[in-house]
Formats: sequence, structure tokens, C-alpha cells
Amino acid sequence: MFNKQDERYWNIHLLNKWFAITSLLFIISMVWMFIDDNDDDFKVYQKTFRKMEVETTKRKLEKAILEVKDEQSIYLAKLENAESVLVSKTEQIKQIESKLTDLESQRYKANMDYLHKKAEIDALKYLVEKEKSHIHELPKEKDSKYELKYNTYLEELNTLKRKKENIEFLHNNTKIELEQMKADVKQAKSDYSNVMRDVDLVEAKLNKLDRKKMSFSNRIGDIIRDLPIIDFMDPYYKVKQIVVPDVKYDVNFASVSTVDRCTSCHLGIDNPDYIDAEQPFKTHPNLELFLTSASAHPLEEFGCTGCHAGRSRGTTFYSAVHMPNSAESKYDWEEEYDWEKMHHWLKPMLPTKYTESSCFKCHMDKPDISGGDKLNLGLAIIDKAGCNGCHQIESYPKRYNTGPDLSRISEKVSKEWAKKWIHNPQSFRYNTWMPHFFNQENNNSHEMTQRNTTEINAIVEFLFKSDKQMNRLSDKKYIGDADNGENLFNSLGCRGCHNVLEDASELTTLNIDLDKLPYEYSVSEYGYEKSETNLLELTKQQGPNLIGMGSKTSAEWIYKWIRNPQEFWPDTRMPNMRLTHQEAKDITSYLLSFTNKDFEEEKFSDLNIDELENIARGWLVKAFPEEKAELMLSEMNLTEKLDYVADKSIRYYGCFSCHNIQGYESAKPIGTALTSEGSKPVAKLDFGHIHDIEHLNYSWFEQKLAKPRIFDRHKIVAPEDKLRMPNFYLKPNEIEAVVTAILSFNDDKVGEKKMARYYQEDQSVYEGYKILNQYNCKGCHVIDGFGGQIADLIGAPEFSPPNLNTEGEKVKPSWLFKFLKEPTLIRPNLQVRMPSFSLTDDEWNSVIAAFQDLDHNNLVFESDYHVDKKSVKYKAGEKLQELGVCSNCHFYGTTFPKQGAETWAPNLALSKERLRPEWLVKWLNDPQAVMPGTKMPAPYIPSQEELEMEDSRSTWGNSLITLRGDRQAMLEGLRDYNYSIPGKIDISREIKKYFEEHGYDFGGDEDEDDWDDEDW
Amino acid sequence: MDSLKNAIDILSAPTISFTLITVLFPFVFPPGDWFEKIHRKLGFWRIWTKPGLYISLVLITLFFIMGYYDPNFNITLTKPDNFPIILLVYSVVICTWLSMYKAYENDKRMDQGEKPAEYNDPDDKVLVWPDLVYIEFIALIVFMVFLIVWSVLVAAPLEEPANPAATPNPSKAPWYFLGLQEMLVYYDPWLAGVIFPGLIIVGLMAIPYMTTTSDNLSGFYSFKERRVGIFLFMYGFLILWIFLIFIGTFFRGPNWNFFGPFEYWDPHKLVPLTNVNLSEYFWVKWLKTGLPSNILLRESIGFISVIIYLGVLPVLLAKFVLNDFLNKVGPIKFSFFVFFGLSMLSLPLKMYLRWMFNLKYIIAIPEWFFNI
Repeated sequence: MFNKQDERYWNIHLLNKWFAITSLLFIISMVWMFIDDNDDDFKVYQKTFRKMEVETTKRKLEKAILEVKDEQSIYLAKLENAESVLVSKTEQIKQIESKLTDLESQRYKANMDYLHKKAEIDALKYLVEKEKSHIHELPKEKDSKYELKYNTYLEELNTLKRKKENIEFLHNNTKIELEQMKADVKQAKSDYSNVMRDVDLVEAKLNKLDRKKMSFSNRIGDIIRDLPIIDFMDPYYKVKQIVVPDVKYDVNFASVSTVDRCTSCHLGIDNPDYIDAEQPFKTHPNLELFLTSASAHPLEEFGCTGCHAGRSRGTTFYSAVHMPNSAESKYDWEEEYDWEKMHHWLKPMLPTKYTESSCFKCHMDKPDISGGDKLNLGLAIIDKAGCNGCHQIESYPKRYNTGPDLSRISEKVSKEWAKKWIHNPQSFRYNTWMPHFFNQENNNSHEMTQRNTTEINAIVEFLFKSDKQMNRLSDKKYIGDADNGENLFNSLGCRGCHNVLEDASELTTLNIDLDKLPYEYSVSEYGYEKSETNLLELTKQQGPNLIGMGSKTSAEWIYKWIRNPQEFWPDTRMPNMRLTHQEAKDITSYLLSFTNKDFEEEKFSDLNIDELENIARGWLVKAFPEEKAELMLSEMNLTEKLDYVADKSIRYYGCFSCHNIQGYESAKPIGTALTSEGSKPVAKLDFGHIHDIEHLNYSWFEQKLAKPRIFDRHKIVAPEDKLRMPNFYLKPNEIEAVVTAILSFNDDKVGEKKMARYYQEDQSVYEGYKILNQYNCKGCHVIDGFGGQIADLIGAPEFSPPNLNTEGEKVKPSWLFKFLKEPTLIRPNLQVRMPSFSLTDDEWNSVIAAFQDLDHNNLVFESDYHVDKKSVKYKAGEKLQELGVCSNCHFYGTTFPKQGAETWAPNLALSKERLRPEWLVKWLNDPQAVMPGTKMPAPYIPSQEELEMEDSRSTWGNSLITLRGDRQAMLEGLRDYNYSIPGKIDISREIKKYFEEHGYDFGGDEDEDDWDDEDW
Repeated sequence: MDSLKNAIDILSAPTISFTLITVLFPFVFPPGDWFEKIHRKLGFWRIWTKPGLYISLVLITLFFIMGYYDPNFNITLTKPDNFPIILLVYSVVICTWLSMYKAYENDKRMDQGEKPAEYNDPDDKVLVWPDLVYIEFIALIVFMVFLIVWSVLVAAPLEEPANPAATPNPSKAPWYFLGLQEMLVYYDPWLAGVIFPGLIIVGLMAIPYMTTTSDNLSGFYSFKERRVGIFLFMYGFLILWIFLIFIGTFFRGPNWNFFGPFEYWDPHKLVPLTNVNLSEYFWVKWLKTGLPSNILLRESIGFISVIIYLGVLPVLLAKFVLNDFLNKVGPIKFSFFVFFGLSMLSLPLKMYLRWMFNLKYIIAIPEWFFNI
């Protein structure tokens, strides 16, 4: 067309070439685009996993075949046998079959005739009815027309029906005949397939998985379904997702259901077959609690990111925002996956060390979340260290003052002691929970030390205003026998909450490579306890480690305090041990025998008036114009200045967060609210000039806890504005636990039905559980399988305070309430004492509700159980107790047991009032099952054979024989007898008298407190 | 290397870089004979030769390579959002060079009495098919290939869902608006976001119609014949648009603070913000009294300044400086020219007032949302 070359400015051949080249490039880029689009990571993983699955299924198939091999051959032989029998009858069968076909066609025809006739009759019926309803309009002779026809048709129909039914009958019979002939084969077949069921299932799965096992057309189909573009229909390799409507992701202007695509790559996550597989195919480590449909958290209902966080829709390693646990795994990931933190996702995945923090959003109400040990520890430390005193945490509020009441501090310690203590608590008690405010990174300069010394002086002057000052002049009056005091201290139960560990060998430096920690760490110069901190360890630290008391306080104070702690601190968690005058004196002497000479020798600088003025001026200038401030300062006398500085300092350091100080009862918490700290954007955390830690919220928290003042480094800050969070010298594992807890305080929203409390009818049980923790009940008792550390100190576990498992179904709530309000003696030979806690009725009710909740028994009122003393059961029970010699160990009212005090067991006269009848039968049936390790032997219950032996009547008596070995009835009889044992219920006075006369001569050394018949 | 980076950091501060470029600009695109002389003397004309292009491309590339290997510059340079800016730098340089190269070629020809190169085309015309459409089609395919490859290689830089409580720092507009965002530093949104962009576009388009010097000038590249027009256009486009985008992209960091390309974007960096309004200068600093309560009285000095700038200054210009030009183009073209010119000039003017005197607003009536 364009042959006139000169008309054109460009050479057409050149353009053609360019067109060809660019078109080629375009095609290449399109192909590249398709490949890129279809080359998702998850597809690669799914292909690998399919191979793994084929292998696993093949192995399973082999195993399944091997398992049924013997049976298979037997049943196969049977089947073949039956079939061969059938073959011999082939002729006969053929005949019957042809007959059946014939009958079938006849039946079909007869049925059709019948139905046609019936249809006509129905139509006629209508006409007849219509005719009848209009009868007055029609001539008379006409009216019989349809009716006549109708009647003849009815007769015909009956004939047809009979014919049809006859043929059907014949047909059925022939069919049954045929089936009977084939019955053996059918049975053999079904037996065989029963045997082979597992094999068949596995095989069917394998056939779907393994392309090699597919038919040709299926194989083609299997390839085609995953081709680009048409793979929207039913691909094999696809994004797998779980939609969880109850777990919302907040996109700021709306909340959307979580869509978890994690299983697109984590393909073996809920399949126990892949426990040893490589990631991402590995099985979840805790299938009992998670993912499987039998577990508490099925995959379909909870998904993945509700707990693990991360970008739920991400389908690559990067876009799911995986987060490494440590610097090493970070490095590995960078090498292997080109990993980097996705900067734009605000909720990156929790590194596995912090996953437990997610439990809290649904289980925030109940303490001690099962499976959440780290979180539980973190929450316990938050209570213990009083974090929630300074930092408001709505979902985990402060329940009590963790430090002692300071309103009568002057009677307890000297001013000098208080100053040294405030300045450096660990120098007095190396493992105290009182944190260090002073001599920290941002206040250890000379000027700051001077300032702090003055502040401490002012605070102490302020706290010690009372006339009553501690003195040791009257110590003699309160001194008893220290050795006996030690015995009492160890045996009465003090050690359920208190330690006395002063031996320096108990201390150890941290056995951790500090350089490997991802944060800067401040090591305490006073050492750490050897034991790793865990919940059980914390129950030993409920009260302070009572070392150095001789250097701290007076005998008078200790005496008065241990006799009635509430006199000094109405809200104290320390219970009243109901000590006698002498006991208190002995214990006082024991505690006073510990001194701390180093601490005594230290001197604390006196008040520096100039510095006091400086501090006062600093605070005044902050609040008032300078001239006014100067004027105010000049008008203050020394006491006023002291008071002013003390007030400012107490408010600055937040002393009132942990201690009751008069005048500060309603002071606001001083720290940042942590209610949604876990959701705080990283940009809102002040990293200051610290660049060596990761830019992540948990890295910041770790660093803050390890070195609370570090973010002031290199900053120029006025003394009044310096960071003041004190240093608790937490161990790295404690830091990890606390960070887990902090991360759990977040804004994540879950649906009401996902909240654990949704399934709890009585919310007061939560309060009960919290009280059990608050008062350290688990220091002495095992509750819900946890606690009772005092047993280790007392010796064998059976010599410790009772295990309270099944307490909720064991005792009557009314009795328990009475007992808790006013503990009475139950186990006569126990030296360890149930203390008196002063809780309100509300609180005790919650505690009882909690016990009942543990055993799923929530009735507060139950009908009284009446014993029929005339019944056979009762008489049988009487005989049983006689034969079982219960009276060897048990008290019957004031009747002492026949055996010595060592084996004494509870007063049986108490049973009816105390124990629930159902539980008692359960207990008598098998004490070991209810309370493993108890010394109570199971009462001997005769068997039917024994009762039917000769002479049985003389041995067992009439009533037992009448029961004919009915075990349940015999146990009930024993219970009934037990319930009707008369006598004094409270025999504490008698027992006390006995021990006053005889002493605890059994047992042996201090920490063996003999008692028997552990749990009732 | 570090001292070089330091030097670049210091030089790239807007006060210095903007001044340098503004001062050098008339010598690169000389609007008059005197500038032309120095332009020749300093050898700036060599930029518009082929070696000039190669050297400038090499220099730009070296700068980017240096940035790539710098830990701080690397972060901004490799952001997927900033990739278009890198392309922009190259394309602007190449296109500007191409037009100037052709213009200089033609100038040379005309100096020698020849016709411009465009006249050598066959019969002064090209066929739409196949010459134009075919080439456009090929270009289209090339561009498609480029877009596909780009989208395959670089993932779309999507961010987290927008959250009013957690805004990114710095919050940057899309790249094509970064020049406007830079203007917002100096002017109120209604000016910097509405009036100026409108005036700039209309003004730049109007330049050829206002600076015609000869009737026979269409259809070919030439610089000599249109020095003032090209100078103004280039200043408005290259400096007040492209350069501001470049600054906004690479040099504006957290809190919209200025950072040199090799500087660490420290969010803690503080720059004193002690800007003062003209009225405060006048009443408080000079007259040593408080601000009058009457708004109009308070801002009277600002109004007077603006009236002088837009009303009196053109008259003075017409009388003493540009009377030749006025005679040549007539009063209508002249007044448009001066209006657009002064509007354009007001941006650098305000920038300098800010840098030199910390001047915040000339007229500041926040009560009426009216600030200039």
C-alpha cells in the first residue's frame, strides 16, 4: 500500500521492527505478570504440603492395611466362599430374575391402570358433588347421570386395585426370594467392608491427593482447575480462610470481622500427624487446648490472629507480619525469608514468648488462667509489686495496698532506719519488693544525691510526727523463749507466707549472659534468690522475708503486731493467728534474734537546710510566679518547709500508691494509665535517645522494666520532671512475665460470647478466686491442684494443712461460712493453725462460691439430711463402723480415740453439721481417689460372696446380710451412722488441755508436724 | 565523602539552595543581553550540548548512587512512593535539555542566516498514518510494558487503615502535590492551595501570548527570540514547581522539619518557631504599643503593603522599568503580565521574608480566616 517511500517521514520497516520488538516485550511482560501473580508463597507451600500429605497418607495406608491383614484374608475367604456358592445357583437366579422382570412390567401396567381410573373418578366425584349442591336448579331425572357413572367406576377401580395388589404381592415375594439367595454374599461383603473401613477411608483420601492414582481424566481435571484465570472456580491450591465474626479488627472507622488466612500456609496446624514437620507445616504445640473441635478453642470459632495478632489477611511470611522471638531468629529470618518488620501494620504478630498475653482479653475476670503460666505470673507480679497502684489498669485494678500502713510507722521503726530503708531497701532485705527510687541512673549525680537525701529526710520527718516513737526500753516485757519461738514460727503456719532466709549462700548473682539480653539491664548488687520466680515461689513471699528484725523494730511492736495485726493496719492481709500471750512472746524473741549489723552501722546524712530550701523553691516556682514563690518561701518556717517538701516528694514519688499515708487516701495514681498500653502505638512511647533497642512496644516495656530511668539518658531534665519509676530489680524472666501482662492490657474487642464470663452464671466467684490469691490461701492449702508450698517446709505433704480439692462439694456452705468467720479445731493433732481473716460476709460468700464453682456445685441451701435409725442400712453402717474401728483414730464427741495423738483424726460428731451427704459416701468409697495421699484407710466393705459364706451371720450381722452386698447401701449406712454420732461438736478445749498436759511428744523435729487422716 | 555529604546537607537547606538556584537561574536561561554575555563567558551554554546532557545525567546518577549507599538517604530514596520523583528528575532534565538543545541549534542556524531545522522536514508535513499513529501506538506498548514491569517489581506501597489518632509523621501529600504542600509552609491554604496553583497554571500557559516579540515565531524551537518568556516559564515550572516537589519529597522529614538528604530523620529535632506577623512588627516592635483592637486598623499596614505591591508597583514598573515592554505589547497584555509576574514573585518573596525576618503573615486576620 505504502510504496511511495518519500511521502513518509519515518521508515515503515523500522517502525515495523519496533512494533515487533515492543509487542514481544509486551507479551513477555504479560507472561511474567501471570507467573508473578500465580506464584504466591502459599501455593508453593501447599504444593510441598500435598507431597507430604501423600507420603503421610501412604504410610497410614500401609499401616492400616497391615493392621487388618489377618482379618482381611479371613473375611475375603468368607466372601469368596459365599460368592462361589452363589455361582452354583446361577441358573435358578436367572430364572427368578426373568420372572421378576416380567412381574415388574405387569406391576407397572396395573399400577398405571389403577391410577388413571382413580384420576377419572376424582373428576367425577367433583361433578357429582357439584350437582348435588345445585340440585334445586336441575331437572330431577338428570341428577343421577354422574352418580351412576361414578358408582360403576368405583367398582371398576376396586377390581383394578385388587389386581394391582395381587401383582405387587407376587413381585415382593419374588424379590425377597432373590434377596434371600444373595443374602450370604451381602453379609459377607458388609463384614468385609467393615473390616476394611479404615483402609478404604485412607485410600479414598489418597486417591484424591495423589495425582498418580487418579484416572486420566481426573488427572487432567486436577491440572486444569489450578490454571490461571479459571482457577476462580474450584482450585486445589487456594487461599484458605477462617472468618471469625466475634473477633473484630478495628479499622478506625469500623470494626470488621477477622479473616484469618494463616492456614493457607500453616497447613498441618490442627493435624497431629505433623508434630515433627518443618514450619510452616508444623502442628500446633497445644492441641488439647486449641484448634481441635474437642478443645476449648476450636479453630473455626477462634481463628488464629485473635490470639497471635498479626496481619490476618497476609499470605506471605512478610505480609502476615511475623515477629521474631529473639535477635537470633530475627537474623535467621532475614537470611531465610528476607524478613523485615512491616512498618505499616499497627498490630504485628506477638512473638511466641508473648502470645499468652492474648488469653487475658477473654479471661480477664478469673485469675490463674490455665495454660497461661507466664501471664499469671506477670499479673501476680503486678499485684505484688504494686504496679497497678501507680498505673491505673481498668481491667486489672489495684485491690489492696501492697506496702504497709504508715500511719503508725513511728511506733514500728526508728527515723534513722526509715531513712536508710527508703534510700536503699535491698541493703536491709536483699529480696524486698520495696523498689529502689534512689541511686539510679538519672539521680546518682552528686547534686541529685544531695537533693534525694534531703527529700528522704523531709518525708521521714513528715511520717514520724506522732508522739509515740519506737523504743526498745520495754523489750524485756515481751521477750520469751526464742527456741520455742522458732518451733512455733515453723509449725503454726507463719511460713505459709513468710520466709526467714538470711543465709548469704541463698543469694546468687544472675546466671545470665547480660550481653545477650535485648535490652540494657541493671543488676542488683545485693544478689538474687536462686529459685526461678514462679507463682508457687511467690506464695512464699506473701509477707516479707523476716530477716534483720532485731535491727529494725522493738519487741513491743512485734508482739503487738503478731497478736493483732489489724490494730496497726486495719486492711492488712496478715491474719490473726490467735496467739497466746506466751506464744507471741516466744515468736517475738525468735524474730528479734535476726539482726543486720552492716545496715545498723550505715549512717544517713542529716537534713541539709539549704538544699531543703532549694527543693522547696523549685516546686514553688513551678506553681507560682517567681516573686510570689520567693515571698511564700520566706514566710515558711523550717517545719513548714519540711512539710511542703515532704508533701511534694510523697506526691512526686507516689508513696501513697502502695502505703496508706494519712491525708493521701484519695490522691490520684501518679503513673501512666496502662489500661490500653498494649495497644499504644509505638510512636507514642518515648524512646528518648536510646537507639540500641528494637522500635517495638514490647522492647520498650522490657527496657523500661529493666532500667526504668534509661529514657532520661542524654536528656536535659529538671529534677522535678525526671523519670521516677523505681527499680524493682526484676529478673529477666519476671520482666518477660510482666511485659506479657502489659501487652494483655489492650483495646482488642471480642464478642460477648467469646468472653469467659459469658459462661459463668455467678460472677461473684471471680471475686472469690481473687480473694483466695490475695490472702495467699494457696500458701498453705492445695486448691485446684495448686499451692500448699508449706508442705515442703513441714515435711511430707500429708502433714500439711488440708488439701482443699473437692472442698466445694465436700462441706456445707453454711458450715464453711461459720468456720471461715471463726475457725474451730477440726484436725486435733495439727499444730498448724487456720488463721482468722477478717473478711466481710460478702467476701466470704464469694470465697465459698469460688470453692463451689471449682466443684460445679452451686447450691447454697440444701435440704437437711435425715437419718432413719430404724433402717437396715443404718444398722449395717453401725456394724461396719464397729468392725472398721473408726474410733481408733476419730473422736466421738469428747470420747478420745483409742490410739495415740499421733493418729488422731477429726471429731465424727462434727460430720453431720459439716459434710455433705453425697460427698461423704464418695469419700468412704475410696478416700485415695478423692484425696490422693490421705492416711484414711478405705473402710472395709464386705462383698456378696463374703456375706454368703458360712458363719457370715455371726461375723457380719443380720443387717449387712440383708443388704446382700449392695455396696452403695452399705456406704450410705456407714454415712448414716456417722451422721448420727452424738457428742460435743467443738472439742478444741479438751484437746488443748490434753496437749498442755502431754505436749506434742510425737513427730520429732520442728518441721514435722504429725497428723493423720489428712483430709477430713 | 562525609565532608561532601555534609556540604551537600548544608547547601540543600532551602535558604541556601533556593537562593543559589535563583541567582544562577538567569545565567542558565539568560533573559537579557547582559546575562547572555556572562552565560557565554561562564560556559553555561555548554549544558545544552550533548556532553552537557551526559555530564548532568552522570552527576544526577552519581548523586542518587551516593544516596543509595547512605543509610539515611537510602530510606527516603528507596521508598516506593518516591520512585516517581526519581523518574521525574530524569525526565524533566532530559526534556528540558532536548528543547534547549534544539533551540540552540536553531539559534545557531538563524545566526548563520539559515532556516530553522524544522524547515528541512519533507514538505513541512507528516502523515497521521502511519507516522504519527504508529509511533504513538508503539509508545503506548512501551509504556504498558514499563507499567507492568514496574508493578511486578515494586509492590504497591499500601499502608495501614487510616487512623485519625495516629497520623504518620511526616504526613506527606501525593508526590504531585508536594510542591503545593511546600507552598503551604508560607501561605494559607486558600492561597497556596487554591489561588496560586490556579494562577500558576493559567499564568504559565499565558506566557507565550504575553511575551510575543515577533510575529513569525511559531513552529520551531528557539531561545534567542523568546528569552524572557522561556526564562519566566522555566523559573515558574522548574523552580517553583519541580524543585519544590523535590524538596518536599527528599528534604522534609518529621514535623515537616527540613533535613539534608544525608541527615538522620530525628523526630526530636526542634526548630524554633518564632514567626511574627507584620502587624506585630509594626505595632509592637516599632511603635512599642499593643495591637489595636480594631482588626482593620491592626492590619492596615498589611493591606497597604498588598495594595502597594499589586496596585502601585505595576504603575511604577510601567513608568520607569518596563515602559519599552508596555509600548511593545500594549496595556492589556502588560497588565496581565505584571499581575501574573507579581503573583509568581510573591512566593519567593514571602519565602525570603520568612527566612530573613521570620515574617508570618503580611495580613493576619485569623478571625475571618483571612491571612496573606
